[in-house]
Amino acid sequence: MTDERLDLPQGTLDLLILKALSLEPQHGWAISERIHQVSRATLQIPQGSLYPALHRLERRGWIKAEWGASDNNRRAKYYELTRSGRKQLELETESWRRLTTAVSLVLDMG
Amino acid sequence: MSISELLSELRFRLRALLSRGTMERELDAELRFHLEQETAKYMGQGMSRDAARRQAQLAFGGMNRIKDDTRDARGTAFVDEFLQDVRYAVRGLRARPGFTAGVIVTLGLGIGVNAAMFGVLDRLLLRSPDYLVDPTRVHRVYIGWTDPGQTRTRHERGLAYLTYRDLSQWSSVFDATAGFNYRQVAIGTGEDVHRGVVTTVTASFFDFFNARPVRGRFFTAADDSPSRPTSVAVLAYGYWQSRYAGRSDVIGTSIKIDRASYTVIGVAPKNFDGISDLQTPVAFVPVSAFAPTMDLDYTSNYGWSWLEMLVRRKPGVTVEAATADLTNAYQRSWNAELAKSPGELQPLNVAHPIAIAGHLSLGRGPHAGPEARVVVWMSGVAVMVLLIACANVANLLLVRSLRRRREIALRSALGGTRGRLVQQLLTETLVLSTLGGIAGLAAAQWGGGALRRVFLTSRDGSSVVADPRTLAFALVATLTAALVAGVLPALQSAKTNMADALKAGARESAYAHSRARSALLVMQAALSVVLLLAAGLFVRSLRAVQAIRLGYDVNPLVVVDVNGRDTKIARGDLEPLVHRLLIELRATPGVVNATQAVTVPFYSSEGRSLRVPGVDSVRKLGRFTLQIASPEYFATIGTRLLRGRGITSDDRAGAPQVAVVSEAMANALWPGRDAIGQCIQVSEGSESMPCRTVIGVADNIKTRSLIGDPEFHYYLPAAQFPAPPSLLVRVDGEGADHAETIRRRLQSLMPGSAYVVAIPMTRILEPQLRSWQYGATMFVAFGLLALVLAAIGLYAIVAFAVTQRTHELGLRIALGAEVDDILRLVIGEGLGVTLIGVAIGFGVALTVGSRLSPLLYKVTARDPLTYVFVGGILALVAIVASAVPATKAARVDPNVALRVEG
Repeated sequence: MTDERLDLPQGTLDLLILKALSLEPQHGWAISERIHQVSRATLQIPQGSLYPALHRLERRGWIKAEWGASDNNRRAKYYELTRSGRKQLELETESWRRLTTAVSLVLDMG
Repeated sequence: MSISELLSELRFRLRALLSRGTMERELDAELRFHLEQETAKYMGQGMSRDAARRQAQLAFGGMNRIKDDTRDARGTAFVDEFLQDVRYAVRGLRARPGFTAGVIVTLGLGIGVNAAMFGVLDRLLLRSPDYLVDPTRVHRVYIGWTDPGQTRTRHERGLAYLTYRDLSQWSSVFDATAGFNYRQVAIGTGEDVHRGVVTTVTASFFDFFNARPVRGRFFTAADDSPSRPTSVAVLAYGYWQSRYAGRSDVIGTSIKIDRASYTVIGVAPKNFDGISDLQTPVAFVPVSAFAPTMDLDYTSNYGWSWLEMLVRRKPGVTVEAATADLTNAYQRSWNAELAKSPGELQPLNVAHPIAIAGHLSLGRGPHAGPEARVVVWMSGVAVMVLLIACANVANLLLVRSLRRRREIALRSALGGTRGRLVQQLLTETLVLSTLGGIAGLAAAQWGGGALRRVFLTSRDGSSVVADPRTLAFALVATLTAALVAGVLPALQSAKTNMADALKAGARESAYAHSRARSALLVMQAALSVVLLLAAGLFVRSLRAVQAIRLGYDVNPLVVVDVNGRDTKIARGDLEPLVHRLLIELRATPGVVNATQAVTVPFYSSEGRSLRVPGVDSVRKLGRFTLQIASPEYFATIGTRLLRGRGITSDDRAGAPQVAVVSEAMANALWPGRDAIGQCIQVSEGSESMPCRTVIGVADNIKTRSLIGDPEFHYYLPAAQFPAPPSLLVRVDGEGADHAETIRRRLQSLMPGSAYVVAIPMTRILEPQLRSWQYGATMFVAFGLLALVLAAIGLYAIVAFAVTQRTHELGLRIALGAEVDDILRLVIGEGLGVTLIGVAIGFGVALTVGSRLSPLLYKVTARDPLTYVFVGGILALVAIVASAVPATKAARVDPNVALRVEG
């Protein structure tokens, strides 16, 4: 399974976290699991970078944190997208799309 | 970044800072939860619990690393690092209490001296008066002219009221002008009469300030009109508090100030002193009400020069333009005065009158007293002391960093970056300086009071700690000290080559950095030498001044001055009054003797035109001062009679007229001849000038200047020459202890509103000695401080060097070196460094010393004796400071020493 994994390109971690949170509030572990699953096990968030990233996003005010009960009734810290976070997600999604389109265009030429 | 993001960022960081503990705990819980979830996942895939946990931890990586990264992401890492450094520094400092105490005391003294000195300098020269609007545009006006036969311009700041009015109306570049004058006068009546400073001002004076009266109102131009003066007064806040206990019903009451009564119409706000040059006024009264009590014609003649002038430049007008404009107006005024009283003034082209827009602070104008100059010198000295302290601390830190080379090397080996190391070392210095700063403020609070009492005599010595400007200064001084003292050692330490340090222990290369340390020591020694030289010169000046023979006693004397105020004491009543006062005095316990006197040294002097048969133009010989004396005079003041007799009670009104002359006068009038039996004629205002026979010759006395030529004095019996009543009293003990008792007893005998003042002679003489006393006290204190600091520094360095060289010294002893050899070696090095410093200090002192000359008396700035003495002291201190560790070194047991690995 390690063979199929890809390294995350620089700067995409924030985008992925924001996207993962766009449906519902999640705790850290669930975020990394979700990305792992949705990407069909291609993307593995380096666990060492997850929490620094979460705290950075919280500092920016794009997500906010709240303690709640997890599925197995444990206390967990849930992260939720804020309004400015949602806007940021749109912005970053948009620029990501433009980037990938542009990159494909270049790769597809002649 | 949008505003909302910025706010969120701020909120987050603030929370991260303020509730760091909570955030750490939460992070911990969050990460633990993650691990458990992960473990559970692997267990779900069929792993055993232990295997699952291992797998989870493996995937997660280093927990601490993640925590660090997360903290970084919070953006507060630098604070964490700083606090960590502070904790680390405090731990390290507590482990070495001797070093820590040394540094704190050294810095504390340096910073304390500076804070205290700044407090004085600020008050004396820098700070503008409270409430003053736009102080940079406000000037004090000085006028000046050249006297016939002189080349130097004489500066005055007292103007006649008319001159003030002329300058106000004929100048055009000012948006406000005001006249002011402050003087000591009697206040109140009866038993309660006391002296205080009253500021007389034109109504426009208040326009210079942004101040509102706390009660009532200030007076306005309507109150202050020379044609319709109103006697109103605005009380100063402090006086209102102390005398009236802050009562509101003071408005409308009457207060007697000098010769007239004034109605209180307002109370000035707290700390409103106007322009009073560090004196705290009691009240403000209008010029138009006060002036007529002194001179009824003050609006029509130029005779009475008493009013100072304040001007505020219009925006955009330069100081030079203001001075030119004022000079122009003053020359016009000069001509007006010339037209009014021809013959009293020189014409314009001789006198060259000028008017100057001068600095507001007296200490920075043409009338700066020697105190102001001494204070500037002392401030420079204070900075030098701080530099010495910094050098000392830098040295101690260098030594400490050498001792810590292994630790530092280890830390860099473990991955500490150089920047991080320097940061840590600087933090340590900062902690030290902060403690030093606190110690300094404590020192300033304690020593500053003394300084203020010395330099700001009439000002309440408000606390150093309560003064924000001084506090700010102390803060800057502390940070500067931290930087100056800390940077070099920190850089040096961080440069340590870790491989060498770890390999070699502390022994090798111990001398690698000794050049920096020696340079610091040399600098300290040089600075100490300069300070001690100055101290020596001032002490010698002071001793020379104190050794001046005054010709009379000072300590047991009290001067009693009788002041008529507005009560006219008729000529005929005067003599009986003085007689009653003398009887009362002689009945006062503690009084030994009392006499009449018109001339009081450094206080008042009388003169009459004098004719001496056989001597042409007596006036050309100099100034002759008249003393009118009771028979008890010479016994009271303590002046010796050299020949003949003094005045006795037989020298009555009808008896033959007699006189006593001073020795200098006798020598000047009758050189080579006996003065006894000669005749002098003293003008009494009438045509007849009877011969007064000289019956005695008295010792010379100094009454005008301590350092001038001998003065000419002559003494006439009070019974034979009517005079205004001043009295001299001799008490048993110190005059200062008896002055108030004497005043109270005499005041009860005074008619009407007349009053007496009783001043101890010491207080009158004090200002004459002040500048030398200041210089001597301050330079000695600072010089000794510097010497102690230098000695501590030298001792620490030599002691350190000795420990570093234990191995080498042990080797020498093993090879047969005697105790003497070791002593000579170690002491020689300490002495060598010091002597280089002494040489440099001498060089500096010889170069700049001449600028000190005007402040010295009977000593040149290159006084060889002082130089030799100071050089000797430094050598001695160097020997003692090195001898202690040297003796220790000489006792080294070679067996132990050779095994020492540093």
